[in-house]
Amino acid sequence: MHHQIVRRAGAERETLWVLLAAGVILASATLAVGLRAAPDAEAPLAAHLIDSRTGLTAAEQGLYADLKAAGEEIVALRTAAGRAPTPEELAAEALPPFAADPSAAARGGHTWTFAETGHEIAYAGVSAAPELAGSLVLRLDGHGADIWLKRAAEAPPAPPEDAALSAAGWKRIVSTFTAGVNR
Amino acid sequence: MSLFSNRRPNRRLILAGALAAVALPVRAVAAPAGRRRFGVTLHPYYSYVANIVGDAAEVVPIIPAGFNPHAYEPRPEDIQRIGGLDAIVLNGIGHDDFAGRMIAASAKPALPVVEANADVPLLPAAGMAARAAGKVVNPHSFLSITNSVLQVATIARELGRLDPDNAAAYAANARAYSRRLRQLRADALAKLATAGTASLRVATIHGAYDYLLREFGLEVSAVVEPAHGIEPSPAQLAETIATMRKLDVQVIFSELNFPSAYVETIRRETGIRLYAFSHISHGDYAPDLFEREMARNLDTLVLAMAEAAP
Repeated sequence: MHHQIVRRAGAERETLWVLLAAGVILASATLAVGLRAAPDAEAPLAAHLIDSRTGLTAAEQGLYADLKAAGEEIVALRTAAGRAPTPEELAAEALPPFAADPSAAARGGHTWTFAETGHEIAYAGVSAAPELAGSLVLRLDGHGADIWLKRAAEAPPAPPEDAALSAAGWKRIVSTFTAGVNR
Repeated sequence: MSLFSNRRPNRRLILAGALAAVALPVRAVAAPAGRRRFGVTLHPYYSYVANIVGDAAEVVPIIPAGFNPHAYEPRPEDIQRIGGLDAIVLNGIGHDDFAGRMIAASAKPALPVVEANADVPLLPAAGMAARAAGKVVNPHSFLSITNSVLQVATIARELGRLDPDNAAAYAANARAYSRRLRQLRADALAKLATAGTASLRVATIHGAYDYLLREFGLEVSAVVEPAHGIEPSPAQLAETIATMRKLDVQVIFSELNFPSAYVETIRRETGIRLYAFSHISHGDYAPDLFEREMARNLDTLVLAMAEAAP
């Protein structure tokens, strides 16, 4: 007599395989994500630095860009004239942020002074409205521009050297280049 | 026989034509001795580079005029054009991300690239594009006088490095051009000095104008579009209108060339004054295009500030 055992209708085996496959996919995805995770946020900036993208107010961001652009022009004017231009001369050239225009008033109404020590020149802008934009220092030493900020209506220490500025609570503004995310 | 002899000159003609067709692009691509060819991707960069190099080099837009750079897909003929360049000037921070793939696929994958924004203090992306804690930056640094001046200086320096014989001329041209750009801003601010308010609560349709508004001490309170040219959903629109009312926005800046029906809805619902900026990505490439369009943008901004004065 011939016996045949017929498995009852159901999908236990298929379900098992599907669950197993899903488990393998999940495990490999978890492994891949774990191994390829984006690096943690960069180390926080040193206490005497401040990031231009995240740390500044809108007015300060505008002033910082203006000071960077002014730095190049001041170096060119200094080379041509043999001496550094005064803030009044820069204002006469309509060079922002030295020009006394409505934009300067809307961004803290800074009063600019100027000091030259050896090869280094520094322009200090004392803010009239530190809640809009802090006081700023632009230093040029022939190798590029350094820009420092303090959120107070306060002149920088003289001479405005790194250690003195840091000790007085000033922060150097730094900016980073970030390429397009889809490049 | 007569038929054959008649055909012979035609064949020669066809052969000559075919040879000319093959030779022409090669001749067009080959740079004339001494005169460099610098590629650009966007309209403002054409104006920058054309003013920096003057007659000393040729500026080659790799995208034909008329394409929206926000929605451009590389085409083979545009990739071919890259093969004849000596260098290319890029925005590099999100407005011409297609260029990297085009250069890699071109006959010159190692083409020198000038990152125009290398020295620009970048702002985080605005609106819905703002994510990843400021890692995504606003790519519209060209819609600003100061950041254009910074880019012009970088481009002149880098092109001078690639073409040392003309470096001094590039530097001098860049300074003269930057002075003209600064004058545009000074003229606009002079108009503002007589009438107008220096503080304004602003919303924009496209998140492109943060750099420009920073120059005037203005901050954008709200951005309407989820992405360029993409209309917000009714729910997003309702939320935006509520936000604008809550923030007491005084002025909305929309965009020329991108008229959108929903902008009128916002204006009607909120009663806020509406002005249009140019994104400077339309029309033919021209050396003076940037100055013309930027002067118009500055006039628009001054008008908005003057009319919002109490």
